[in-house]
Amino acid sequence: MNPTLLTVAEASRAVADRSLSPAALTEAYLDRIDALDGELHSYVTVLREAALDAAGAAAREIAAGRSRGALHGIPIGLKDIYKTRGIRTTAGSPRYQDYVPDEDAETWARLRDAGAILLGKHETHEFAIGGPDFGLPFPPARNPWNTAYYPAGSSSGSAVAVAAGLCAAAMGSDTGGSIRGPAAYNGIVGLKPTYGRVSRRGVFPLSYTLDHCGPLTRTVEDCAILMQALAAYDPQDPASADVPVPDYRAALSRRLDGLRIGVVRHFHERDAVAAFGPDNAPGAPYLAAFDTACRTLERLGARLADLQLSPLIDYLDANRLIMLAEAYALHEADFRERPHLFGHHMFARVALGAFLSAADYVEAMRQRRELALEFARALAEVDVAIAANATGPAPRIDQVPFWGVYERASYTGPYNLTGSPALSVPIGFESGLPLAFQIVGKPFDEAGVMRVGHAFEQATEFHRQRPPIAASLPQLRQQARPA
Amino acid sequence: MVSEPSISPERFAVLVERAGLKLTPEQFEELREGYRFVERMIRTVRRPRDRAAEPAHIFVQPRP
Repeated sequence: MNPTLLTVAEASRAVADRSLSPAALTEAYLDRIDALDGELHSYVTVLREAALDAAGAAAREIAAGRSRGALHGIPIGLKDIYKTRGIRTTAGSPRYQDYVPDEDAETWARLRDAGAILLGKHETHEFAIGGPDFGLPFPPARNPWNTAYYPAGSSSGSAVAVAAGLCAAAMGSDTGGSIRGPAAYNGIVGLKPTYGRVSRRGVFPLSYTLDHCGPLTRTVEDCAILMQALAAYDPQDPASADVPVPDYRAALSRRLDGLRIGVVRHFHERDAVAAFGPDNAPGAPYLAAFDTACRTLERLGARLADLQLSPLIDYLDANRLIMLAEAYALHEADFRERPHLFGHHMFARVALGAFLSAADYVEAMRQRRELALEFARALAEVDVAIAANATGPAPRIDQVPFWGVYERASYTGPYNLTGSPALSVPIGFESGLPLAFQIVGKPFDEAGVMRVGHAFEQATEFHRQRPPIAASLPQLRQQARPA
Repeated sequence: MVSEPSISPERFAVLVERAGLKLTPEQFEELREGYRFVERMIRTVRRPRDRAAEPAHIFVQPRP
């Protein structure tokens, strides 16, 4: 058994029954990082000694009968915009290249208290928007399915590490799709929870009203395990919501009998080309994979019906304008006084916010409310919705359009605007690279979207496929080591 | 794909000056080229609305 190929749920059971020790599991991940990350660049900081110390402590606690639950002894990573006390947190920026916070992100504190072990910090686009930028101190992460290809961003390192078996799970952030995009291109699961469900305290902001923190995992069940630790009211996060947290794993099921699912089809079938041009048309393999996914959901007992919303561009431009205005306001002093400290991509993409007026921002926020209500009314007729994610496989990393974040269609941004929970799940492959769709829910119904994602996953095999690089290593020395 | 900027250098220089940015010639031209996205976003969100249509980023389910 290669322990790095286990899901969180599987590793947790093995740790609990003492067939696998947290130390052996942690050493296996560290060995893989040593062997593979020189090519993948998913980590900017690896915490070898601290991780092994934490693994030893976890083993002693578990042996003494003080297990903290399913995450106890499980090695994870954090996008390097999550503050970690005493551990460098760069935000992917030369500005914070040597910054060592004196506080932990609330999310990391909750995961650590649940017993998770921190393997290290993951590569990120600069301030969660400026990438892939080859001029930064940390090289962009590479797609493990083919290292010539883009893993998407900005939670690039986190998704790559999960997909390649360099950690069991990771935390990302999502302002317009930065969890779900990397999840799609790397063939894993990514959840953007409801705005307010998971604390953002101690995470470098990009856009206050659009930023969400959430997990990247190999399976939906693993996502549920992490969400159980993450979902909580945080009175020190101004946007945190005091809403009861259900038992996420208990809500997972294999059937969807009677469930009503709305399909947001016109965004990718018509609106993308109408607003952004013919090169935004979904590929035939993607359309086929999406339709097959719809049929799979019907076989599981769900009833599907198309939803009609305002055009995609209404959602996207409001999302992008708000992001630009909030991100520029956040960094304005540095743009004026220390512009040389920004990377090329970050500078150009966010400096455009300097040319917006207060009235532009207010109009975008007014449009946001209209669209959030429209989407809520549409979802009132169904239980969840499904929508496209990226409508084709990853591009080559050297062919990512510089202005792609503004000039191309995106199917993830609408749900940052509405604050809805949105889960990315693999639905197939094209040219050896993963494809995915999204399951979108009503506010605070993460359990509902994970239920659909889990049932779909159990009915398909996509989540069991791993990048060739994940299986390319010889048997590791720890694999047969008893606990 | 590089598109023709939608704003003249003279008009864009006024915006840059007003924003208090000190740009290199390369940055100036790059942002001038990207300004068309800002214009598109503004066109999309600026539309007639009832004066009571307030901005918000809270999430309220409609009544059944």
